[in-house]
Amino acid sequence: MTPTEPLVRGGAAEQPAVRPPLPVKMVIAGGFGVGKTTAVGAISEIEPLTTEAAITEVAAGVDDLTHTPAKTTTTVAMDFGCITIDPTLKLYLFGTPGQERFGFMWDDIVEGAVGGLVIVDTRRLDDCYAAVDYFEHRRIPFAVALNAFDGRVEHSLEEVRWALDVSDHVPVVVFDARERGSVRDALLVVLELALARTEG
Amino acid sequence: MADGLTPPGGDPVRPAPAVRPFLVTAGRVAPTASGRPVPVETQVVATAAGLEALDGLAFERHDIVAACRRPQSIAELAARLRLHLNVVRVLAEDLRAAGQLTVHVPDSGATHDAAVLRRVIDGLRAIPDSRGVLRDTD
Repeated sequence: MTPTEPLVRGGAAEQPAVRPPLPVKMVIAGGFGVGKTTAVGAISEIEPLTTEAAITEVAAGVDDLTHTPAKTTTTVAMDFGCITIDPTLKLYLFGTPGQERFGFMWDDIVEGAVGGLVIVDTRRLDDCYAAVDYFEHRRIPFAVALNAFDGRVEHSLEEVRWALDVSDHVPVVVFDARERGSVRDALLVVLELALARTEG
Repeated sequence: MADGLTPPGGDPVRPAPAVRPFLVTAGRVAPTASGRPVPVETQVVATAAGLEALDGLAFERHDIVAACRRPQSIAELAARLRLHLNVVRVLAEDLRAAGQLTVHVPDSGATHDAAVLRRVIDGLRAIPDSRGVLRDTD
């Protein structure tokens, strides 16, 4: 019943000094400026940390008439935070850019996640299509959360549901990324979904 | 190696000429026995052997083992030490092979277990609404 699978060999000196918690991961996806880091920061027990995934990619620009070297390095920031549930269990929240062109890093970050929250700015729905498709395709439980900037959203839940064409079983909620209770409740919607799935 | 002077369990200290991240890992970016990169939330903890060898470790290896006195995720290490995720993955694997760290890859069956999810749900529900009041910032 070990919660983790330590890749350990050998004797006592090579055992961990402290037993680590089981890390449970959720992913917060969404476009730039949509409130991912705000949401993580509202509920994380640590200030959100940032790590950068640097990717060398071949630029396949449609306007590439200049014959300049086509290799570029893209740096993508990933913000994350955590919540200690108890000494043996820790929830990690990873915020990742939701646009299609960052899809190359999703597998790396999402692998093993129990669920996802796709944050949407109703003024820029386009930014979240790719993330919605990704979670649906990978069969990862997720909810769509409309961030109520200044307390309001531009479109109704039904309009957004129609525009995003998400399945009926995907919850769509309105929340405020700045409010701890609101972020908590949005995460709970996703976790309940994940739990319901384990119970068949 | 066989000079009889190397302390037992002590990893031979390699020269540490590295100033660029990808030289640190000698160009490797995809470690682990399974061939898949370990998840970003994978927990890493120093061993007694690692802490004992700390003074002999250089640069990034030293910093990683020192930071792992308390369990850390791969992502936390990368952020706190300002290293790329893949550099941390490679070095953690090296240090594990040397017996200086343990690497705890989360078992998907355990994290998706109903009882575990219920504990996460209960733990989250206990978090109060108020922003700022009980906020544990540093």
